[in-house]
Amino acid sequence: MPDSIERCLESAAPPFCFGQILIRKTNAGHFILIHRDDEPQKNLEIFQNPDDAIEIAKYDDAGNYRPLKTAPNLRHGWRLELADLEELRRALDYFYPGRLAVFAAWKGGELKTTPLRGTLDRQSGMYRVAAKISDAQINDLVANFCRSNGGCLRTILWKRDRGGGIASTKLPKEKFDPGIDQIQALERPESPPPATTPVAATIPLLCQEACNLLIAECRKVVKGK
Amino acid sequence: MSFNKESALLIVAHGSTVNPDSSAPTLAHAAKIRRRKIFAEVGCAFWKEEPSLRDAIFLFDPKSICEVCVVPNFISEGYFTQTVVPRELDLNGRITKRPNGQIWKYCEPVGSDPRMTDLLLQRAREIAPGVPEAETSLLIVAHGTDLNENSAVAAKREAEKIRALGKYAEVLNVYMEEPPLVSDWRKLTMSRNVVVVPFFISDGLHSYEDIPRLLGITVAAGVDRGRPGSPPPATALGEIFRRNPYKIGDRLLFYAPSIGTDPGFADIIIEQALAAKS
Ligand code: SF4
Repeated sequence: MPDSIERCLESAAPPFCFGQILIRKTNAGHFILIHRDDEPQKNLEIFQNPDDAIEIAKYDDAGNYRPLKTAPNLRHGWRLELADLEELRRALDYFYPGRLAVFAAWKGGELKTTPLRGTLDRQSGMYRVAAKISDAQINDLVANFCRSNGGCLRTILWKRDRGGGIASTKLPKEKFDPGIDQIQALERPESPPPATTPVAATIPLLCQEACNLLIAECRKVVKGK
Repeated sequence: MSFNKESALLIVAHGSTVNPDSSAPTLAHAAKIRRRKIFAEVGCAFWKEEPSLRDAIFLFDPKSICEVCVVPNFISEGYFTQTVVPRELDLNGRITKRPNGQIWKYCEPVGSDPRMTDLLLQRAREIAPGVPEAETSLLIVAHGTDLNENSAVAAKREAEKIRALGKYAEVLNVYMEEPPLVSDWRKLTMSRNVVVVPFFISDGLHSYEDIPRLLGITVAAGVDRGRPGSPPPATALGEIFRRNPYKIGDRLLFYAPSIGTDPGFADIIIEQALAAKS
């Protein structure tokens, strides 16, 4: 029996995009994955094992380690050919770990979000101090750290606090809308794409709770670093 | 081993925002266990990498997975296994029943398993094949002064167990940051042959650069980071481990990769999970 993730992938109907990856299906039922920007290129390095996604996702184009896999710095120049849905699922989970499961939970109405203040208040040890960050500091930090343009491609679903305060008033409203492709929103900041342009469907990368990197940044703000 | 079609295995580990090799052994163990098809699903989650421990709550579809066994890939009980992991995963004790019906079982950390001793012995033999144990000193390296961690205690326990077997001329614990210091190994040991095994979960700066420097290994520590298409990093050993033995003065030094990169860890993870199930 296919589980919720497989059902999501089956219904995604290639070609579709997942973060910076474009996924196509061949007539033989295989899947071809490339970097979205690489579409027109021909001389891509070919990989055929889903496990290769671990290493492709590990370093950016300059060879730096990528601590945040949803940052918009996936390296270029590769083409990953996969035999079936099982391999596709495995590879996508190495590229964007956990994001398919969170998307499936969201689609099924099972995803719980946690406000940033909830995450901060839970911290212990060296991160406990991070909770002292002010609302104004959060507003600026999130706008800078989480922005799709150079920060992170996830769609923010969490609120600032239990009162429902927005994560940052300085981010465009598209940043909070799972129906919008974060990369296209960057390309056309003012208007949504015209309905006539054929656009590959997108599985959004969802952020249901602030990541550890953001908590570490909150701590730095409090400590004045 | 029978197939648990409604059970999932979740391996939790520390991970790192700076060390690309930190999660590699955990991912490699998970891939190995997945191939053995003992659990319906095998996932990983990390404190400092993705998927996060918080993401892990949503990794397994409650319609197909009834039970999740959580195995901490840590060298010892401590702050992470006792405070961080249960808090982030919303666990309340050894067994947690979720509102969606899933049962989550929290297992012992891998490093606490009694089979760890055999693994250390095996690794020590592999790194110095044909070298008589009775003429060899075995050093087990731990960090020491870790925040609230008991890794030094665990390393001490392992050294005592191996010493009691009477195979090696001597078995010593050494630490990076507290005495007895790794850097004093020449004073601390008497045998001509010295085998050094880092008691860490993964390779990284400590095992690639810091410990070699403290040991006096001068060879350039070329780090084999693994590129796309190369073998999984847990088996693609760094250059530093391929130059054994190192001749330092009148001694022969054999330097092993961190114990956590041993494929035998996968078996221990399975055992920990199955022990929690029964
Ligand atoms: S908090 Fe979420 S959106 Fe912000 S950087 Fe972390 S993962 Fe991305």
